[in-house]
Amino acid sequence: MEQAFLGVDVGSISTKGVIIDKDNRILSSQYIWTQGDPIGAVKELVGLLEGQFDKSRYQIAATGTTGSARKLVGAILGATMVKNEITAHAVGTTTFYPDVRTILEIGGQDSKIILVENGVAVDYAMNTLCAAGTGAFLSSQAKRLGIEVEEIGDYALRSSHPTQIAARCTVFAESDLVHKIQMGHPKEDIIAGVCNAVAANYLNNVGKGKKIVSPVVFQGGVSKNKGVVAAFERTLGCPVIVDPNGHLMGALGVAILARKGSKRQIFDFSVENMDFCTRESSCGGCSNHCEIICVYRGDQMIDSWGNRCERGARVR
Amino acid sequence: MAGAVRRKIAFPRYAEYHCAFRYIAEQALGVQYILPPPLTRHTMELGAKYSPEFVCTPFKTCLGSMIEALEAGADTLFMTHGLCRLGYYGELLEQILRDLGYQFDFINLSDYDMSKKKDLIKVVRRFNPKVNPARFLTQFMEGARMVEYLDEITAEYYRNCGFDASGGDYKRAYQNFLNDMYTAQNRADVENGYRRARSAMQAVPLDKPERPLRVGIAGEFYTVMDAFSNLELEQKLADMRVEVHRWMNVTNQFMHYKSHRNMRVKIMDLCQYEMGPTAAANIWWAKRCAERNFDGIVHIKSASCTPEIDVMPVLQTISRDYKIPVLYLTYDAQTSDVGLQTRLEAFYDMIDMRKKVL
Repeated sequence: MEQAFLGVDVGSISTKGVIIDKDNRILSSQYIWTQGDPIGAVKELVGLLEGQFDKSRYQIAATGTTGSARKLVGAILGATMVKNEITAHAVGTTTFYPDVRTILEIGGQDSKIILVENGVAVDYAMNTLCAAGTGAFLSSQAKRLGIEVEEIGDYALRSSHPTQIAARCTVFAESDLVHKIQMGHPKEDIIAGVCNAVAANYLNNVGKGKKIVSPVVFQGGVSKNKGVVAAFERTLGCPVIVDPNGHLMGALGVAILARKGSKRQIFDFSVENMDFCTRESSCGGCSNHCEIICVYRGDQMIDSWGNRCERGARVR
Repeated sequence: MAGAVRRKIAFPRYAEYHCAFRYIAEQALGVQYILPPPLTRHTMELGAKYSPEFVCTPFKTCLGSMIEALEAGADTLFMTHGLCRLGYYGELLEQILRDLGYQFDFINLSDYDMSKKKDLIKVVRRFNPKVNPARFLTQFMEGARMVEYLDEITAEYYRNCGFDASGGDYKRAYQNFLNDMYTAQNRADVENGYRRARSAMQAVPLDKPERPLRVGIAGEFYTVMDAFSNLELEQKLADMRVEVHRWMNVTNQFMHYKSHRNMRVKIMDLCQYEMGPTAAANIWWAKRCAERNFDGIVHIKSASCTPEIDVMPVLQTISRDYKIPVLYLTYDAQTSDVGLQTRLEAFYDMIDMRKKVL
């Protein structure tokens, strides 16, 4: 029986999973929408991964989780490694692109930049307070224009005169966009303008003050959008690499981290048929009223967090 | 002073300085000190509810804490002056609280020129007309000494607490020290409490590697020091086994370095003039951390803090010149603990992996 490693990345918009072998080869991978239900999404994901996976040859020896629901999903899957998405992305990308110097990442709600030297991250930045210019903005504008988010790239590339759209703030960008639509600009030009605005917004906010050196790797859901890729290449004046597995990079990174970690815990896909739920309890210990998150499998509590002091500790 | 009506004064809760406020109020000024409850989400909700939306977050914290202090029985509130928007806090806080219908006396240092002896005596007399200036000065200096001790022990605590090998003795020693300071009645209590803390902390075995990860903390005056406001950033970092070094505190900013003029000599290459109340100190400290080969710098500010926004480009230059990562954090009343944890974990992973390679 050979060892395999599962990595799961549960983001705000999409849920990604991969199973790799000990040489980081992908045995099975899946990308589905989270749709506001991380527990349901993970159960579905695990089922889909199981279908592509050769159980007679491999056995999952360690599991890693990342993304904004990493803690919850980590509790459900019995993960041996729970890592933040920034580290997971850095590890994943530097494993497959050892020469990379700059990693651009735009996801559904967040965006980050990671600077790499000699194969290790040396500086990073992540958006704070504001989710302007992320995937959520692109998909809402696609909806406004009546096209699918997947088609944005093709539309953008057909434009020869991208419309100028304010790039500083999504709220202004949106009103500017409505104005340009009402002025009769063609759809292609407007979409190309939106893609340029996303790239400009990213470089002005997250990328501010960071020295972007080639080779540049671009990943996260938005990297699938050819319009934004073209906008980055034009602004940065260098080629931008988009890996075909770029959307899985977080999951790959955390699977690699789980492989490198010392803990081992066999994972047997049985979670598909279990019931999980989260209950929030408000601690009455003091006026801070910490929200304590308790995760239950059936009637049994398997994990809890959120308390700021011992008074709020909940025991299984 | 049995029978006499004593003022019940309060100042917004701020880091651990309430120990020294109490000492100065009760020993030096001869008034009663009302301790506002610890800052909690309830404080923030109160403050945010009655504050202008785009005011700096510390204003909201102060307002919330003042409301809680009034409800705890305070009849006199006190507000400091300052060189940024802080200078206008007092006036606005008083107006908001009066509009809410609270009755209290408000002593606002912005109304006085504290560099003039005459004004200083006026302020002291407002707190308590019967105060003896000579006695006040002696006791005030004892309170100031307590501030120095608080800052010294706190700095020591965050440098070492992540390496406590005893399972919590270090933290207990620190908590006991804070208790001692809060209950101190005279100079001997202060000195003994300090000495006890020093020896208790020294007695705790530390499991520290030869070259531990060292992170420098810089940033806006209130948020950088107050553990509630920065979501216990220093404790979170220390718990990852990091030496946390923060220069900014009341002692360093106001007592040991009364002027930044000489500090600016060392950063002439980066900035030529004063950009804000704490700008020179933060730039100087960041540069010093970089020169001492720290593994990273964390820069903290509350949302829309203009002086600190101006500091950021200079820190970016330092980051580039010295190849030191800087994490910029912005706090507002809604900042989530989870988001901070993600960024700190990533920062830790990065400086840790980087150290192993470089």
